[in-house]
Parts: sequence; C-alpha cells; structure tokens
Amino acid sequence: MTVAQPSLLRRLRLSGLLVSLGLIVEAVTLFWSHPTAFLAFLLLGGTLVAAGVLLYLFSIASYPSPPQQAHPGNT
Amino acid sequence: MNLLTEGFAAIVLVTIALIALVVLRPSLMEARGGRVLAFLSLFILPLLVTTLGVAAQVEHSKSTTFCLSCHVMEPYGKSLHVDDSSYVPAQHYQNNRVPRDKACFTCHTDYTMFGDFKSKARGLRHVYVNYIGTIPKQIKLYEPYNNRECLHCHAGARSFEESDLHKEIRADLGMNKTSCLECHDTIHNAHGLANVKIWKEEKP
Repeated sequence: MTVAQPSLLRRLRLSGLLVSLGLIVEAVTLFWSHPTAFLAFLLLGGTLVAAGVLLYLFSIASYPSPPQQAHPGNT
Repeated sequence: MNLLTEGFAAIVLVTIALIALVVLRPSLMEARGGRVLAFLSLFILPLLVTTLGVAAQVEHSKSTTFCLSCHVMEPYGKSLHVDDSSYVPAQHYQNNRVPRDKACFTCHTDYTMFGDFKSKARGLRHVYVNYIGTIPKQIKLYEPYNNRECLHCHAGARSFEESDLHKEIRADLGMNKTSCLECHDTIHNAHGLANVKIWKEEKP
C-alpha cells in the first residue's frame, strides 16, 4: 500500500478524525452521571466512531490492489 | 471515578495517540506492521473501546445519582431520607440494607436470569418518556411489585424467617400470593413528603 494516493490519505485522516472525536465524546460522557450523557454516548459518540470505522473500511476496501507478479513457471 | 472509567479513559488516550501516529506519519503504512497498526487503531480498538464504554455506561446507570438526576425523581430521592422507619425505602437506605450508591437499582431490578436486561430496557423506556413522551402525573410501577425482589435478600435471614407473622404466611409470600407490601405499605409516598421529618446524616 503506498499512501502517495491523496484520496486514500484524505479518507484515512477523516476516518481518524471521526474516530478520535467519537472516542473523546464517549470518554467525556463517562464523567457525567445523567441520562443525557448516556444518549450522547450512544447517539453522538457511537455514530462518530461508527462513521470513522466504516470510512476506514471503505478506504481500504476501495483501494486498488497492486498487479499480481507473474511466476516464471506459470507462463 | 471507578476502575472501569479510568481504564476506559486510558484506552481512549492510547487509541487516539495511535490514530495520530498513523495519520500524521502515513509512510508507516507502507510496511505491513504499519498497516496492522492502522487496522488496530482505526478498527479493533475503537470497537473495543465503544463496547467497554457501553459496559461502563450500563454500570453508571445503576447508580442512585443517575436515577435521581432526573427532576421527576427528586421526591423519590427525598423519600430515602425520611426520618421514619415505617418508610420502607428510607429504612433500607439509611440502615445500609441496600448499597446506598445503588439503592434504586437494588430494589427495582428483577432478580431473574434476564432481570438486568429487563431493567435496562425499562430504563431506556424511562429515558424515552423523559425526553420525548409525556411524564405521567402519578408514577407507577409497570407491574405489581414482586415479592421475589424482597426475598432475594430477606429469604433465609433470621429476623425474617423467625418472625411469627412471617411464619404464618411464608408459603404465600414465596408464591407471591400475599404481597409484602400489604403489611409494609409505606413506600416512597412521594407526593406526601411536604411535612415529614428529614433525617440528617451525622458524618463520623
């Protein structure tokens, strides 16, 4: 995988940002004992983390695989 | 802050540090180890951390402060401090017959195989009613209080089993035919707390 591809790098950065933001929201909600914190954890933190993880998976799944090297004996 | 919350915060920091490393040093991903690190920090760890977070949130939701954080629950919290031993919740709370930090949950969970799960489902319903639905003027239990919840602690206790009155109806209590609340009938009385004496805890 070469990361010279700007689109891949951009997606990975966005994915990292979303996951980090989601984790920060999740961590902050744990210091507050209130149903709103529970909702913020699930709806805001959970959604950001899920979006980041899905974007990461999409980035690596849509990355074009390098061409296979032909083995000398298989020609 | 409990161990679960501390552990959670620590893993969050480590995960964010790893994400920053991967994102700010993309050349790392040209090697197999770097790609594994990216997979770990952008997929495995976030899912693990979120799962841990759900567990921590569920644990938090058992706390008395969590239950009483809703405005509508304030009188029920006050009822725990009534200076009158005929108030069943107050008597349990003040004499440590239930853990004070989980007082509501201890009496209002179902002591069955999926009791915790049912309690959490009820809790989500409460959250829904609190934010979106209409809060009823008179808060009632969804089902009549089951003796099973009382007997979870009291069954086998000497003071309970050797009481003459309990002996007479012990089988009925066990089968939930006679409710404990028929005799122990002063529960929260949340709407009648205006003139009651409130217990002031003396700190040692």
